[in-house]
Amino acid sequence: MTPVGRATPAAGPSRRTLLRATAAATAATAAGCSGAPPAVQVAVVWSGGELARFREVVAGYGAGVQVISAGNDIDAFLRARQLAGTSPDVAILPRSGLVIEYARRGWLRELTPATSYALPPGMSDLLSADGRRYGVWVKAAHKSLFWYLPSMLPAPPRTWDQLVTLTRRLGARARAGDGPAPLAVGAADGWVLTDWFENVLADVAPPGYYEALARGEADWRSPSTHTALDRLAELWSVDGAFPGGGRRALLTQYEESVIQVVHHRWATMLFEADFVDDVSRRFRRGPEQPETFRFPGSRVADSPLIVGGDAAVAFGGSARGAQLVRWLSGGSAFQPWLRAGGYLSPNVSVPLDDYRDPVRRRLAAELRTAEAVRFDLSDRLPGPFTGSDGVGIWRIMQDFFADVTNGVAAGEATRRAVGQLAAAARSTGGGR
Amino acid sequence: MSRVLGELAVLDDVGPPRRGRAYPAAGATSALLLPALLLLGGLVAWPVLRTLHASVTTDGRWVGTEHFRTALAAPGTGAVVGRTLLWALVVPAVVTVLGYLLAAASRRSQEGGLVRLILVVPTALPLVVTGVTFRLMYDPDPGRGLATLVAATLTGRPAADAPQLLGPGLVTVALMSAFVWAWVGLAVLVFRAALDAVPPSLADAVRAYGGNRRDVLWDAQWRPLLLRTVAVVFTLAALGTARTFDLILVMAPGSVRDEASVLALRVWQTSNGATTGEGAALGVVWLVAVAAGMLVTALFVRQAWPPPRDPAPVGPDPAAPAPRRATRLLVAGAAVAWLVPLGVLLATSLHGTVDAAARGWWWSPPSLDSYRDLLTGAELWRTLGFTLVLATTVTAVVLGVALLAAYPLAWLTGPPAQATGLLLMAAAIVPVQVIAGPVNEVLGVVLSSGTARGLALVHVALGVPFAVLVLRNAFADLPAEQVRSARVGGRHWWGTLRLLARHNRPAVVAVAVLEFVQVWNDLVVGLLFSGPGAVPLGLFLAGQTRGFVANSGALAAGSVIASILPVLLVVLARRQLVAGLVAGGVR
Repeated sequence: MTPVGRATPAAGPSRRTLLRATAAATAATAAGCSGAPPAVQVAVVWSGGELARFREVVAGYGAGVQVISAGNDIDAFLRARQLAGTSPDVAILPRSGLVIEYARRGWLRELTPATSYALPPGMSDLLSADGRRYGVWVKAAHKSLFWYLPSMLPAPPRTWDQLVTLTRRLGARARAGDGPAPLAVGAADGWVLTDWFENVLADVAPPGYYEALARGEADWRSPSTHTALDRLAELWSVDGAFPGGGRRALLTQYEESVIQVVHHRWATMLFEADFVDDVSRRFRRGPEQPETFRFPGSRVADSPLIVGGDAAVAFGGSARGAQLVRWLSGGSAFQPWLRAGGYLSPNVSVPLDDYRDPVRRRLAAELRTAEAVRFDLSDRLPGPFTGSDGVGIWRIMQDFFADVTNGVAAGEATRRAVGQLAAAARSTGGGR
Repeated sequence: MSRVLGELAVLDDVGPPRRGRAYPAAGATSALLLPALLLLGGLVAWPVLRTLHASVTTDGRWVGTEHFRTALAAPGTGAVVGRTLLWALVVPAVVTVLGYLLAAASRRSQEGGLVRLILVVPTALPLVVTGVTFRLMYDPDPGRGLATLVAATLTGRPAADAPQLLGPGLVTVALMSAFVWAWVGLAVLVFRAALDAVPPSLADAVRAYGGNRRDVLWDAQWRPLLLRTVAVVFTLAALGTARTFDLILVMAPGSVRDEASVLALRVWQTSNGATTGEGAALGVVWLVAVAAGMLVTALFVRQAWPPPRDPAPVGPDPAAPAPRRATRLLVAGAAVAWLVPLGVLLATSLHGTVDAAARGWWWSPPSLDSYRDLLTGAELWRTLGFTLVLATTVTAVVLGVALLAAYPLAWLTGPPAQATGLLLMAAAIVPVQVIAGPVNEVLGVVLSSGTARGLALVHVALGVPFAVLVLRNAFADLPAEQVRSARVGGRHWWGTLRLLARHNRPAVVAVAVLEFVQVWNDLVVGLLFSGPGAVPLGLFLAGQTRGFVANSGALAAGSVIASILPVLLVVLARRQLVAGLVAGGVR
């Protein structure tokens, strides 16, 4: 089945034998580091503290589970494993687009979640291809939050227009050297900018358009995309909006932008997800804890709610893997992580009282009550369009940010960005 | 970097036709080539063919030049190719000129030895560590980045308008400066060996005929030896620029990746682990360019003056005029300039997480917090242990396989010897990003993809060609009497081989040290082939650069710890390294 065997069928077995012999001969000494454990293998993106928490979670599973951290580039890792025929039983993927991609290639096994698996609308049908379910959500991220220190911002804005007014006012003060800049943004990381864009787009687009874009069925050259980008341009082009200006913001990574708010206090507000508190805990000065407000929309009533998440899938013929995934999808599997804090469950059947972490408890409640939960758009885009450093939508949003903070007229910057988005969608087979 | 150091011998090989000894090759000893042939065939030659195949097909269907046209027409490809060429021309030129000047200037001064030692240290550092060091210096915040602070002070502009060394305009210059810093020491070592090999009598003769300083340089240094050495150093550095990959990954923030991108990065971004279509096409373009560059230099070097066979060891030339003030200033300036980045790395590592992230190292008192956090955690120890086992194993296997293969190859003469030399050389310079997908397929067949075994196997296959070349050249250059006595003394081939190895200790030491340091310092092989539970040091450090500022304390401390062993090895073995690699002439 390997491509090598397929290309030269006659030579296959002998080469295979020879190479195996070489491998055994030359690498025997290195073999001490690996083996063939009978445990169920799970590849995850997490590392550090999150990895330790997940290990605690699977310790509660009946059978032995081996958790392996594949790091940020889990996609390349899994491709290589699949190519080599040594896929793990289960993988936890950071993007729903990957689940669909793997499913279409026939790498995954169809799944049945536990009976207690209940999702907010907007997340439920993302992991299915051709009507079959290939993944379950195991962790959620709330991506519509602004963070600020209450002592620096007495009255948080409640609508987009209030946010713009506030930014202009604080920006003017910052320019005069009379206070911190209004916003910190980690524009060196493209995903921060796509999260901004998604929140604004979900707010201004008619129902269905956001989802259609994500499915690759809508045209990016639409009034909604233009409006969303124009709004971002309106805010980002405010003089003095970012500490050190736009040029500096483009070299600021996400963690540093948190430090600018909670440690240096060079900026008043920071937009990002619920996991900001992880960085803030390490770098904040004094006892004051940062607080949050929802990403402001056009009206006070229905602000957008963007979520991200990690999904578990089972590979190929692994029945044991499918069983483990079913167990993970149950409401009680993640109890140890809920108790430790820093975990937001996508499963709305988890009782709110199980959250020890007050921020997460409030966010979990928001997940239940929000009118429209939208899943992270860039995570659902196909192929390279989904973005990474210097690639896809990350790159396009960074170019747009550079344009609007560099004095390019909003209309022109928007036109360029929309053109690039449409071209990228076309070249990856989505959009029209 | 160390792998390129080996290419010195590689290039030297196609030099004068002085290799090979007409000893009858016993049929049995040809079987000794088998391990090397299997490794190179399976993990280098076959993957290269697969990549060539993938560049003209889609799912096995012939598509002609379609992938090439798409890849070259993609936005930005022109700039990427141009930047790659710029790297391959400008950086080697700077490295060569600086290397010659510093080698010549440090040669006659009292402090020369110390200065050369300072210059050699950066060559032993993993490129990841070099990247971390320069990113710390070039941090856009003048409160943290020393270079930005200096630039802001010099230009007299406020912090917000200071030149951004990591910004889109200057990022390539910043990367190049880091590369030059890491490479000049190597050039100095090679030039010094070359200058020492020039018989001083030649300079005396030129002077006796009334030649001035310039005539001495031209007739007693450039024509006999330096032309060839310049070609070798230039090519080494040019081939070495293929390794900018590590630097870009570590130093360039996400928003300027495109402005810093070179072919190596583009191939990796496009092929995404598997080598297909456009990624394969770009890879083929790159492969052809590298091979062409190598061939041109090989011809150039071959026509140059053959090095003297038996130069007497030369000390500082007593007849030479005392160094001028400008020379001494140059030497002292270089020593300071090369020490500053090392100092910045060390100073940053001596601060805890918050201090290192929030302000410059010059603001707060030193502490050992970052080291304590690292050393009390399990992760660093696991990585260090794994890398140590990996590098030791790979070195042992490479040495074994290469010794076996070098034995029969050393008996070849004439065109077969030159052909094997060229083939091995070609195998030594194949960029691994180009063949990543097919190598993974082969690893899958031997059931070791994404495991420590697979990683070790790839390292072995990549290390074998240059090890074979160095050892073969060393064996072939041994004086005939020594070989004869060895063959008479040893009853079996392994007895002879053992004696040969003993007589060639510098070459064996050089191969072992370079292979070890190369595996220890590696990022790209680990990035492409390592799996869970098998995280080598380079990957461990590079992984933390995603949140560079927040992690800078731990990153600096980890970088210092990661550098100790390679620096020690290279500094202690630097004489054997040069002696073993310039093989042939200097013995």
